[in-house]
Amino acid sequence: MAGTLRTAGRSIWQTLSSIKTGVILLIIVVIVSAAGTLILQRPVTDADEMQRAYSPEMLRLLDAIGLTDTFHAWWFVLLLALVSLSIVAASIQRFPNAWRFYARPYKSPDESFRKMLATQTQIAIADERAGLATAERAFRHLGLKPERVTKNDRVSLFAERSRISVMAVYIVHASLLLIFLGGIVDALYGWRGFVALTRGQQSGQVQMHDGSGRTLPFAIRCDGAGQENYADGSPKKWWSKLAVLDGGQEVLRKEIVVNDPLVYRGVRFYQASYGSTGKVDKLVLTVSPANGQGDPGEIALSENDPVQLDSDTSVRLAEFIPDYVVRDGQVYSRSTEVENPAAHLIVTSKTTGKATNVWLPPIPGFEQNADSPYRFEAKDLRMGYFTGLEVSHEPGQWAVWAGVILMGFGLAVVFYVVHMRFWAVPVVDARGHLTLWVGGAANKNKEAFEERFQKLVGEIEAELKLRIQASARVQEEEPSLVGV
Amino acid sequence: MARARVEQQPAATGTTLVVLVGLSVAFLLFMAFLNVVKTGNLLNESNLLYAALIFYAGAGALYLGFGVTGTESYVRFASLATWAGMLANTGAVAHRWYEAGHPPFASIYEMLLSFVWTLAVLTLIAEKKYGVKVIGTVTMPVAIVGVILMQLLRTEVHPLVPALQSTWLHVHVTLAMLAYAACALSFALAMMFLIQDKMKTETFLAATSAFGIATYLGVLTRFEKWGGLSVVAWDPERKAEVFLAKGARLFVVIPDLGWLMLMVLAAVAAPLVLYLVSRWKHAEGLIDVANRVVFVSILMQILALVFFLLRARDGSYASLDADGLFPTSLAASPFILSGLVGSIFVSLLYLLLLWRRQDLERMLPSAEDLDRITYKTIAIAFPLLTLMIAAGAYWANRTWGSYWSWDPKETWAAITWLVYAGYLHMRITRGWRGRRAAYFAILGFVVVMFTFFGVTYLLPGLHAYA
Repeated sequence: MAGTLRTAGRSIWQTLSSIKTGVILLIIVVIVSAAGTLILQRPVTDADEMQRAYSPEMLRLLDAIGLTDTFHAWWFVLLLALVSLSIVAASIQRFPNAWRFYARPYKSPDESFRKMLATQTQIAIADERAGLATAERAFRHLGLKPERVTKNDRVSLFAERSRISVMAVYIVHASLLLIFLGGIVDALYGWRGFVALTRGQQSGQVQMHDGSGRTLPFAIRCDGAGQENYADGSPKKWWSKLAVLDGGQEVLRKEIVVNDPLVYRGVRFYQASYGSTGKVDKLVLTVSPANGQGDPGEIALSENDPVQLDSDTSVRLAEFIPDYVVRDGQVYSRSTEVENPAAHLIVTSKTTGKATNVWLPPIPGFEQNADSPYRFEAKDLRMGYFTGLEVSHEPGQWAVWAGVILMGFGLAVVFYVVHMRFWAVPVVDARGHLTLWVGGAANKNKEAFEERFQKLVGEIEAELKLRIQASARVQEEEPSLVGV
Repeated sequence: MARARVEQQPAATGTTLVVLVGLSVAFLLFMAFLNVVKTGNLLNESNLLYAALIFYAGAGALYLGFGVTGTESYVRFASLATWAGMLANTGAVAHRWYEAGHPPFASIYEMLLSFVWTLAVLTLIAEKKYGVKVIGTVTMPVAIVGVILMQLLRTEVHPLVPALQSTWLHVHVTLAMLAYAACALSFALAMMFLIQDKMKTETFLAATSAFGIATYLGVLTRFEKWGGLSVVAWDPERKAEVFLAKGARLFVVIPDLGWLMLMVLAAVAAPLVLYLVSRWKHAEGLIDVANRVVFVSILMQILALVFFLLRARDGSYASLDADGLFPTSLAASPFILSGLVGSIFVSLLYLLLLWRRQDLERMLPSAEDLDRITYKTIAIAFPLLTLMIAAGAYWANRTWGSYWSWDPKETWAAITWLVYAGYLHMRITRGWRGRRAAYFAILGFVVVMFTFFGVTYLLPGLHAYA
């Protein structure tokens, strides 16, 4: 029983760690993601459009299997988890070998290795010690640091560069897992929402994208917001002056713009939108008594905030219609844009209790402007604006960025850093001559390596020739000396 | 027959085309110079771009001339013309950058400008460093289509909307252009590998036909009732598309053009059908018929292009979504236009292969070298793709507060990345070389093209500006 369990476990492990499984999983991810971009997705597309695009049965089917919200469906998350598992398994299975290779470099080549190696050559030498010393110099000339290795009384030379290249692939895989980890943390603990603030308003309530609310442990206040335009009228910049209030204390102030958020305790506030609330911030009016006695004055009205005109009379802004139209005996607003504004004022007398409807401009059938003890004239209109802030909390993003940097580093090493190894050992060849066996290996970019190897061999041969010539010259010169 | 005629030509007449192209380049430059003298404005962007177009077109003509006559000296002159075009293009990019005050990556016009520049530079690198002399045969037509498209699209410097005012955007788009150009190069190299690897000419016939089918199917997604073809309405005063609501463009229907496109689809699909039938019935003779049909399909495609140019250039058409007539313009349909032109070029390249295969093989490096260089270009493209996605994610995080939101462009960028990752794994762990690797490189580029054009054209999303 335990045996079958173990074999089952082993076979699962083997399946999971094979490259084939990994590639099949990746192909499935590719197909499903492609489907997810072709089928309309739920939160982005509104329900009406979905119903227009698909038949009811089709929509029910798509909804049931989660294809209308592919990237958040449980099986998609499971798929990504399987991909991660496969990467982990494949890495774990191959890691020990790679690590052995990395930690214990193969330094003294034995006979079978010398036979197998693709890149090698033999150079005739006179004696072992001199030959090795020459090779050592040649290694140094090429910027290599040769190491003398003695094994079984045989001295050999070994040099290598960029051994890290062997491990780089694991760095890349680890970085991918780090990115996944960040994504999972954000999926579990991250959230996104929206706050709209008018000037002076403060709030700690975030409207979440799924419709629920969330209370922050601090509040955010808007001290001002605005828009700057280009000469052609298109928006150039949106800005908001924000202040953070924590425990009743103002702790942070920042003017944010698009692309430059405010961050406090891991919560980020982004400038997302800016627009008119459709409500009046200030309506400035000139007021003059209807009977012509007394000087005209100026008042500023906000909605439902009465202003005393004299001891008896007060006026309030009852209604502001940004884009009015009269239809069926009613005043409607066609839009929230200030296109065709109308203001409804109510002038009240305290003593008589009489209320007069004043309309600016006078709309026949509604206005009683003539009955009002004061005449009003609109001078200036300032609309209320809100700044829309996207709020997000992504505790996993640091893992993501760390993963990205690690991956950039890992890929650079994987593709552009070559692990090269060189060996030199004096051997006696088949015909009984003493030679210096020189061999090399590289894990990629074989041409460049080949070139370097030839250079090394050339260098050794040149040095040896110099020595032979030098010793030959000494031999030549000696007899002549004797001759004199 | 064409081949027989050509082979009789002595090599000495080889200079004719060089002289002709040289003369026409000189003539066009002289005409442009007269215009410059008149306006007193020498080094502005449109002049530079015009010069680049002339030189690229000269290079393209010389490469095709090499294809028709097999004269090797054409390739050398073509390379010189590419150099000149690249220099003029560099000037245009610099001028644009200076004028706009930001690197030229904000609109599709500016991105094409950068893309063509990168492509020309990479072509020259492939030529000089790796000895792939005829690579321009594939890349120069792409550059020419790019520059012509640019002439149609709006050129005035547009202010950047707030979300685009970020250094990270520039980093993101630069990396994208570099990566996509490297992918394009790896695609061209993989194609050349297949030629050098003695892949049968009729297989290329089938691929050409399949490309045509994909293009015309893409165009026909805009097929409307009663045989019309819907294109985006264009506001000539604002030089912009007309929008019904946010994100919803207004389409107008050009009558009868849909039928024409349908007929061309039949013509470009015929060679593939004939090829499949010949495989199935072992009827070799059908391939000759199919080659003739390619000829017919090229004529049909040119006809379709001309009709499209005539009818979509200007004129007002009715819309299904709103009352009244609305104007349209070529600038409103850059993707249809590049699809039509691209498909014609692919067919012409097939004819080049059909007639000049031996000369091509002579000019190309060995199959092993091409295989290796393809891998090297992908080894450049893949890290660039990775960094491109990372920079895009970082920018999105600073702008919208989310580094990954699964919008179609993001998802397709990830798919591209996965395809190339698959290529690398198969090559490194499974030792995939040669054909299979070449197919993978081609698949990768097809996905890149879909991400670049297809997603923008067919799928909605955040990347509305690109």
